[in-house]
Amino acid sequence: MNELRRDPVTGRWNIVFLDKVADVSDFKAEPHPKNAKDCPFCYGREGDTPLEIVAHRRHGAPNTPGWTVRVVPNKYPALMIEGELVKEGDGVFDLMSGVGAHEVIVDTPDHMRDMADLSYPEMEEVVWAYLGRSIDLRRDKRFKYILVFKNYGKSAGATLEHPHSQLIALPIVPKVVQEEIDGAKRYYDYKDRCVFCDMLRQENLDKERIIYDGRYFTAFCPYVSRFSYEIWILPKKHQSDFANLERDCISCLARALRDCLARIKGLLGDPSYNFIIHSSPINGHEREDYHWHIEIMPKLAKIAGFEWGSGFYINPVPPEIAAKNLLSVNIPEK
Amino acid sequence: MPELRRDPVIGRWVIISTERGRRPDQFRTTLAAEERLDRSEKCPFCEGNESMTPPEIFALRKPGSHRNGPGWEVRVIPSISPLLQIEGNIDRHGHGMYDLMNARGAHEIVVDTPRHQHEYELSKDQLVKSTGIVVDRIADLEKDTGIKYALVFRNYGEAAGGGHIMHARTQIIGTPVNLKRVKEELAGSKRYYDYKDRCIYCDIIKQELSGGKRVMAESRHFIAIAPFASRFPFETWILPKEHSCDFYRIDKARIPDFVELSQKVFLKIKNAIGDFPYNFVLHAAPFRRDVHKKGFWETIQHDYHWHFELLPILTRVAGFEWGTAFYINPVSPEDACKAVGELAQ
Repeated sequence: MNELRRDPVTGRWNIVFLDKVADVSDFKAEPHPKNAKDCPFCYGREGDTPLEIVAHRRHGAPNTPGWTVRVVPNKYPALMIEGELVKEGDGVFDLMSGVGAHEVIVDTPDHMRDMADLSYPEMEEVVWAYLGRSIDLRRDKRFKYILVFKNYGKSAGATLEHPHSQLIALPIVPKVVQEEIDGAKRYYDYKDRCVFCDMLRQENLDKERIIYDGRYFTAFCPYVSRFSYEIWILPKKHQSDFANLERDCISCLARALRDCLARIKGLLGDPSYNFIIHSSPINGHEREDYHWHIEIMPKLAKIAGFEWGSGFYINPVPPEIAAKNLLSVNIPEK
Repeated sequence: MPELRRDPVIGRWVIISTERGRRPDQFRTTLAAEERLDRSEKCPFCEGNESMTPPEIFALRKPGSHRNGPGWEVRVIPSISPLLQIEGNIDRHGHGMYDLMNARGAHEIVVDTPRHQHEYELSKDQLVKSTGIVVDRIADLEKDTGIKYALVFRNYGEAAGGGHIMHARTQIIGTPVNLKRVKEELAGSKRYYDYKDRCIYCDIIKQELSGGKRVMAESRHFIAIAPFASRFPFETWILPKEHSCDFYRIDKARIPDFVELSQKVFLKIKNAIGDFPYNFVLHAAPFRRDVHKKGFWETIQHDYHWHFELLPILTRVAGFEWGTAFYINPVSPEDACKAVGELAQ
């Protein structure tokens, strides 16, 4: 019989298949054809993007080649950086002006590789960019939340093939984040402990879902995985805001993230995926009831009415099996 | 300037960002050719292939026909690959800090037609019959105290999880827990009711009827609107004008009116943008057996309003959107209504 598992943070129930577990071969990876022609994120085409916000470069002037990671405004932003935040009502409805930042972080100048293929030092540069932009944007008083995420592959919503991540600064806190925060607070009020710290303890006790155990970070397939081969990366030490990440921890995070992506690619043949950094809203102080983390969601099965309509997910691969399979993959140690 | 709009019931914010993207008519779509294959010989839902399914739960039969044989008009069967199973105990327990239970529940398929027809080929008469059966099935599941909610939906097209057998059918899943999404809506409706003493959906209907720019279609008893905070291009909700929280208690005399309006909405959108994949999902109140429950349970029948949500699957939903429930919609509901009105001509 299948099992229903409840997310201890949000209270969402997920269905986990125990009878008919999907095999690795059941997931056909979608091909990601790569063609660097006319790519605005490649060397030499810096003029095709809006002017860069920041770039890590060994040499060269801004908006010319020579960079390793480059951050530019999104050419088709979902939100506009200029303008005042206007809030108003329309009868029963509420709305506000779409003020916000929408930036693109070009992960590498190399069009042909993805994040899973980066070396540890290259990955570190990307993490530095995430951190730098998060710290910079949180100074803008109009913003309440900074969302750092990556869409890889068409079915994960990526429209450009050159490896890139995105950052959106929002004048509101997204609903799932708010729910997570509320759920974590409820748990904290009841137990006086952080639910994510407890999750880390439980995962270390069970051991069977852990896929990376570094000095500062742990990665595991969560007990309540919504998606097949979902992976979470948590800092071992309690910390609520990603922007407060200490410099010493960056290389460990880069390694954890790169390794998880390389394992997914090695096992499942380069599937589309998304990852999102879940961090506490911008408010200037650390909170004891929330714990920032990264959620990696491979895009392996189509979402049907069941998930849309119900807010509950069907996962054909128990996380225990997912972790075992992921660990069986050999990945480069550099 | 893009706009951030808030869903008044559950408080979800959506970015309506028309500048980004495409005009409504650029969403023209068509189902992949392979989804159109006629598989009637191998189709387990076709008349004559009854032995390919588990034994039927119910069938609307012609006189003289036999159980699990031909001669039916609407047939209800257990799902061939059920997500939840009707046998067994629920067995709630904990694992350290985690909670789990057995996946006990119901998963039924209501086959709308004995012929190998897809949704648009169904006659009004056929849909009225099958909708009536769906209503009966929900009423029957209500009797099983292990089932708290009946989730009713239709997936059309492979991109929407509809599978490749193009035989019209509705799925019903009886869940042993109350779903998070349902609780959110109930909590949101209750919040509004406590403050205003009115049903929020009734207020939405009134406002949309007086404004008009988000009304997709209207009949005597029902209204179809493009919701103010639409998550998807051409998202449409169909609501009864008269307040009611339970779909399964619908006055059956109103089903033809409901079916006619739904068919009109689907066709209007199809004429505007082509043969689009979709999910069509019922949102109704959970079963209420314990009258003494507190919280949002107390006032459900006054504050909650059943409706169907039609979610066209036109854009590739970026995972972060369903990971954060934070949606970016490139077509405003006003533009969608306008496009449906104009392009459908």
